[in-house]
Amino acid sequence: MSQETQQVEAVRVSFDAEYQRFGDLVLDGSGLSAVESLLRELNELKIAHTGKRSALAESKKLIGRVPAEERATFGQTVQSIEQHIVDSIETTAERINLFIVNAKIEAERVDVTQPGRRPRQGHLHPITILRQKIEDIFVSMGYTIESDREIETDHYNFDALNIPEGHPARESQDTFYTTDGFALRSQTSTVQIRAMERHGVPIRIIAPGKVYRRDTPDMTHVPMFHQIEGLCVDKGITMAHLKGTVTEWLKRLFGDDTITRFRPSYFPFTEPSAEFDFSCFKCHGTGEYENDRCRPCKGSGWIELGGSGMVHPNVLRGVGVDPTDYSGFAFGFGLERMAALMYSIDDIRHMFENDVRFLEQFR
Amino acid sequence: MNISYKWLKELIDFDLSAVDLAEALTRVGLTVEGIEAKGDDSVLDIDQTSNRPDCLSHLGVAREIGVIVDRPLRTRGLGVADVPYPAALAGEIVSVDDKDLCSRFTARIIRNVKVGHSPQWLVQRLEAIGERSINNIADITNYAMHDTGQPMHAFDLDKLAENRLVVRCARDGESIITLDEVERKLDPSMLAICDAEKPVAVAGIMGGLDSSISATTVNVLLEVAYFDRDSIRATSRKLNLATEASYRFERGVDIENLIVASARATELIRDLAGGEPAELIDIYTSPFNPKHIESRDISSAVARLTGLKVEKHECDRILSELGISSDETRESYASPSWRYDIAIEEDLVEEVARHTGYENIESLLPPAYGAGEFQPTEVSERLLRQRLVDLGYDEAITYSFISTETDDQYEPVPDLIEDDASEPLVTLRDSVIQGSVRMRPTVIPALLDALRTNFNQQRKNLNLFEIGRVFASLADGQLPVEKKVLGLVITGSETFEGHASVGQPRDFFDIKGALQAALDAVGTATATFSAETPKHLRAGQSAVVKIDSRPIGSVGRLRDDLAAQFKFKQPVFVAEIDLDLALSAAPEIPSYFPLPKYPGVVRDVTLLAPKTVTFENIVRSVMDKGDEILDSVDFVDSYEGNDMTPGERSLTIRLGYRSESRSLSDNEVDQVHNALLEAIKSETGAGLRQ
Repeated sequence: MSQETQQVEAVRVSFDAEYQRFGDLVLDGSGLSAVESLLRELNELKIAHTGKRSALAESKKLIGRVPAEERATFGQTVQSIEQHIVDSIETTAERINLFIVNAKIEAERVDVTQPGRRPRQGHLHPITILRQKIEDIFVSMGYTIESDREIETDHYNFDALNIPEGHPARESQDTFYTTDGFALRSQTSTVQIRAMERHGVPIRIIAPGKVYRRDTPDMTHVPMFHQIEGLCVDKGITMAHLKGTVTEWLKRLFGDDTITRFRPSYFPFTEPSAEFDFSCFKCHGTGEYENDRCRPCKGSGWIELGGSGMVHPNVLRGVGVDPTDYSGFAFGFGLERMAALMYSIDDIRHMFENDVRFLEQFR
Repeated sequence: MNISYKWLKELIDFDLSAVDLAEALTRVGLTVEGIEAKGDDSVLDIDQTSNRPDCLSHLGVAREIGVIVDRPLRTRGLGVADVPYPAALAGEIVSVDDKDLCSRFTARIIRNVKVGHSPQWLVQRLEAIGERSINNIADITNYAMHDTGQPMHAFDLDKLAENRLVVRCARDGESIITLDEVERKLDPSMLAICDAEKPVAVAGIMGGLDSSISATTVNVLLEVAYFDRDSIRATSRKLNLATEASYRFERGVDIENLIVASARATELIRDLAGGEPAELIDIYTSPFNPKHIESRDISSAVARLTGLKVEKHECDRILSELGISSDETRESYASPSWRYDIAIEEDLVEEVARHTGYENIESLLPPAYGAGEFQPTEVSERLLRQRLVDLGYDEAITYSFISTETDDQYEPVPDLIEDDASEPLVTLRDSVIQGSVRMRPTVIPALLDALRTNFNQQRKNLNLFEIGRVFASLADGQLPVEKKVLGLVITGSETFEGHASVGQPRDFFDIKGALQAALDAVGTATATFSAETPKHLRAGQSAVVKIDSRPIGSVGRLRDDLAAQFKFKQPVFVAEIDLDLALSAAPEIPSYFPLPKYPGVVRDVTLLAPKTVTFENIVRSVMDKGDEILDSVDFVDSYEGNDMTPGERSLTIRLGYRSESRSLSDNEVDQVHNALLEAIKSETGAGLRQ
């Protein structure tokens, strides 16, 4: 073996001696920073053994001194030593890099089940949620939304609605009066009158709003609540259109299998008059839910919702509409009652307490 | 009211079970709320509408069944003579002084009765419908009322002074101890049944104790009468005394049925108490005159209003079985004496429709019409609500009436209260909630109540809003002003969805920001805030909100003494604005500015200024000076610390420079920047912080 070859072989030996601690390296359980400094040391080792001033670089220069017939072999030896150094370092570098990547992933792992970061969301009042749903349905059916005064004259609250002096509905034990003799409207039907006065006929409106009755608050009564009033006046309107309209919006709200029932009743401002019920949204009219008596409909399968009828000719005449030319229907119902049924609220006083534990339950 | 199935069977023949009957009655508008088995009988609880007093009896319900099953009522003989005592002699027993309030009065003398227990069948009958047995005479009058619908009263004839009755209005100072052993003061508006000396009954409402039937009664005077409906209602309200009798009289009894009802009771007194029927007096001053209802073609009227096709002969069958007779020659129908609710053709249509069945009416949508629409403000209001909800506000709805205790403590939105109104607030005559007689001029106190409610549940980080009307009086009998307002209240720290921990404590800028965001959502022109102090707010942290320099409300920290009334121990911020005004400002259509071609330069400057110098003062001094390359003035930060002179703060602002025609050189910017800083200094006294 030539002297040059021996010199080259010494490079290998010295590399192997310094590299040995990397070859035997066990990374498991090591800290990230210790491993990162190992990587730096490995790079230094690489530079020391493959850089321009390394022993290897020096030994490459020896090739001129090697006899011509040995040059090929010498060259191969140098190359194999270089390859050995580069491969060894790369293998370890890969191991270390992989460890670092994995260690970083572990270090930065998050609990994806923790709550997301966002400000607390507020909540619409359940009455607003329900009102908006119903308004959307009626607007899509060609109705216009009307709103109007809450403090009214007896004329709008009673006379124009064909509720004569002496009628039980007119007794002050049911109606709030101001010291100036005005009434807090006891039904949103007042808007029928004002809207027909404003717009004339034909007309299709719904009027959501607050109404007031002198009821002492208890689980099923409150002195202020919300109603939605509907009115459709045109030529040729019949009770069939009333039934169709009420059934249609209830279907859109509660599903296509909803059916309605109209029962004869009495309201001074409609003739003929009817109360309307709809098949219970929970038990779908069976009266039973999960082998128990259905709660919203009390086992009857029907939910009583509101009043309706054909607009009384006196009401039409009162706003200058000829009842022989025009006819119309009107209906009304209470939103608190409906919300209480839909959301199984057992005490409607909660609606006006504004306890956020209550409000948070509705979206 | 309670109706006995067996009792009905005595009045009409029908083949329906109690359950089927209940369904059939509900279908025609006599809503059966429940059926209860009572021995071998079933009792139906029927919910009567106020227009059908005729159905407050078994006879009335039987009449409806007659139409349902198309059969006549069973005929019942009178059983006793109905020949009245000669009118000329009637005055010895009864005189009616007030004929306007009593258009018919009958009295039957029955002698030698034996007052005692009722027979078992009668006791059971009454018990079935929930009535207590008293004695045979009282039970018979009660029974006859539930049978015929006609209230009646039995007097002990021998206890009546001069054994006679006078129907007249009470005199000033008169009073009576009624059957319920309460002394009642009467006044001249009240109709009384009197003997020769004094009132012995409040007409149509309750009899007197002294003249009532007792164990020693021998001779009875049975009163069966018709009284003016409004008079009975008024007296009943005045005395705060409502009875089964007054309930029927004020809704209207059948004036043509008095003799039959009287005979029915007389017959029973004869049979069950051994009485001997004697004189019958009938003073009928204004005989019943049926209403004629014009109807040329009832069948097409039914079709026009209900869409039902009912042949004329079927219409006539239904109507005649209800007692509504047709008069072909006059093209009209006559309503019977027991139906007060039949006055126009539409009423006839309802009778035909309900007995034909509402379920047979088709279900159709009205012919297509125009598109529906929201009120323009409704759309804006929805956007505004949603914006506030997204910002974490919960929507509250509070009662419109509030306590008088908050009067004058809160400043309502501008222009709600008329300056010269002597009674500016709307007040209710009374309330069902203790003390709450004021129609609210502001939503804030009720929202603060809601905060208190939540504090009591240990919820102390809260944002609430309410949209609702507030009220104020106008002079001269005009309807009160109603304005829609938006109210906000916040307190505590910011909170995060799903996190129990909280963020920064909220301050003035949180509620101001929410208000700005809400107004932005509806495209309202920029609102400005000026440091002013409405009376419910704390000086130094309050502002009046303006749009186009018109005040629309206020925002700020609740005054400490008001907060103390609610026992709030942490700052509470409130705002209220006139929403009608805020939503009436037409949204502006944005106008596009070309995107800049040349880069801009920004310079942050920290100024040291007296606290009296506002951000707006600084901005105005910069804008007033102005420069072609001045592009923007923005707020960066404000700082007050212990290391600073009291009464001063440091304020960092960012000035932006840009030209549309060239890139700016540092030199050029420096010149303008320094000139602006000088302008700030000279206008406001704020200089660079060293």
